[in-house]
Amino acid sequence: MLLLSLNNITKTFGGLVAVAGFSARVNRGEVVGLIGPNGAGKTTVFNLITGSIKLDAGFVFFSGHSLSGLRPHRIVKLGISRTFQSIRLFPHMSVLENVLSGCHCRMQSGLFAAIFHLPRQRREEKMVLNNAMNELDFVGLASKWNLKAGSLAYGDQRRLEIARALATEPKLVILDEPAGGMNDKETEALTGLIENIRKRDVTVMLIEHDMRFVMHVCDRVLVMENGALIAEGTPEEIQKDPKVIEAYLGVGEED
Amino acid sequence: MSFSFKGLLSDRVPLEEGGGKERILPLPLTIAGIAIFFSIPVIFKVTGLSSAMYWLEVLNTVGLYAILALSLNVILGHAGMFNMGHAAFFAVGAYVTAILNLTYGWSILSTLPVAGLAAGLFAAIVAGPIIHLRGDYLLIVTIGIVEIIRISLTNNIFGVTGGPNGLMGIARPTIFGFKIARPQHFFYLIWIVVAITVTLFYWLENSRFGRALKFIKEDPVAAEGIGINTTRYKLMAFVVGAIWAGFAGTLYASRMRTISPGSFNFEESVLLFTIVILGGSGSQKGVLLGSFLIIGLPELFRGFQNSRLLVFGAALVIMMIFRPQGLLPPKPQRYKLPPPWDKMGQNGNSSQAKVSLSKKDD
Repeated sequence: MLLLSLNNITKTFGGLVAVAGFSARVNRGEVVGLIGPNGAGKTTVFNLITGSIKLDAGFVFFSGHSLSGLRPHRIVKLGISRTFQSIRLFPHMSVLENVLSGCHCRMQSGLFAAIFHLPRQRREEKMVLNNAMNELDFVGLASKWNLKAGSLAYGDQRRLEIARALATEPKLVILDEPAGGMNDKETEALTGLIENIRKRDVTVMLIEHDMRFVMHVCDRVLVMENGALIAEGTPEEIQKDPKVIEAYLGVGEED
Repeated sequence: MSFSFKGLLSDRVPLEEGGGKERILPLPLTIAGIAIFFSIPVIFKVTGLSSAMYWLEVLNTVGLYAILALSLNVILGHAGMFNMGHAAFFAVGAYVTAILNLTYGWSILSTLPVAGLAAGLFAAIVAGPIIHLRGDYLLIVTIGIVEIIRISLTNNIFGVTGGPNGLMGIARPTIFGFKIARPQHFFYLIWIVVAITVTLFYWLENSRFGRALKFIKEDPVAAEGIGINTTRYKLMAFVVGAIWAGFAGTLYASRMRTISPGSFNFEESVLLFTIVILGGSGSQKGVLLGSFLIIGLPELFRGFQNSRLLVFGAALVIMMIFRPQGLLPPKPQRYKLPPPWDKMGQNGNSSQAKVSLSKKDD
């Protein structure tokens, strides 16, 4: 079942074409990797999907909705949440509060209920604390709920960002270099975590430079170069694709 | 600007050792303190202090500023928006009350909700187009707003504001037939409103709404990216703060009985801004302390009339250098986990304490 489709999306920054007519489809339940050399436009694609930057041309459709012109918080509510390449937690707030920020968009109580401390607001608060703790437990950070997010180890911060993204109850999570800065053991644990995310019927899209990791967790890999899709297929197909090898290793000079 | 504040904050606040001892005072002492405070008029009367009325007026002024500063705290302290035009909303509330009372004969209390709503509506209209501005830019525009209000009032806008002389002969509030006229009456009225404000804003702070503001203050891009409608929440914070300033305007108009544009100038806004920043941006205790220090303390030093502002300015400069987070900065919020999680983290209730523990582990 088609979940996300990108149709000829384009973005230029000044004279630089960051994404040039990129098209792709993501089906429900897949784990899709987006790879490519530095500067290929991978993160820009993610930013275009999540609405952090505006499309110049093309369309993004997500489970029946056009995402064009929607602000990021609306897109989160529709069911796409993300993590950032450079971790973007709320570092001075607690681990729990960071996850609660993800719960926000699924909560109901507004200003009136809050200022008068109404019973339904208190009930919701209790429920959401439980949900947040479940998410922390899911990524293995439950015991650290009361620490300052900024004080966590790097790998833990990455996992906390994933917990925060999952707290928005997404249909699709977009992970921008989730294994970045992780050691081998942490990366291995991340592989398991992504398997578990898939088991929750959440589709995963990720950018990653760790090829062993990508080949291990992804069902399908998209390869970008200079803002365009150059190859697409299973990890095995991609590894053999001459265009991919060329993009990564360059062309041998012929005499 | 705000980022440097935070950087200093995290560096300089000493980490607490051990957990669960965060209260400055135990609860019974706090209650006793509040009880003593509310019996001040009685104490004054019993002891027959000659300047009792004067000191009650000072406390009333402190209370009014506390309400205003607490309402600014929602905007400046929690949402992190540099609003230096708060006196404008205060002015709208005061003038709405005065006009409804003088021209249409409304009782003071019945003007209260209208004054609040008028100030809130005014805030929604003027803040809507500028809410996306950041830091200093917002600050400059809000200074413009307060000036526009002052000049409009002086120019007798719509012929109802009485021009530079303002409006005179505003009635006293009457509650269940009891006329509030004397300073000790106002003391109770004002400080009960302060207590209500503290309670409601405490609840507001510890809710989805309050958290959203904190996320926006800490990182607006991340907040938007995780599903918070940042524009809407910023605007709502502005409107809530303005509504409360409007309420304070009602109290002020009926207490002074005369209002004029001069009472709602830029300096008032700066004063309120200073109370929040100096006391501890985002902390209600800090804002209350700030109100006493900035409004009450100068009254103690009336003797230095001429050098008062100098001492004041110097104090602020020293504060900003050595304690930019304010005298009583906000504490991290504590959460009581529901079962089955309530067994967790019993070894340290304070996040800061646990931070220090984990640092030792490293």
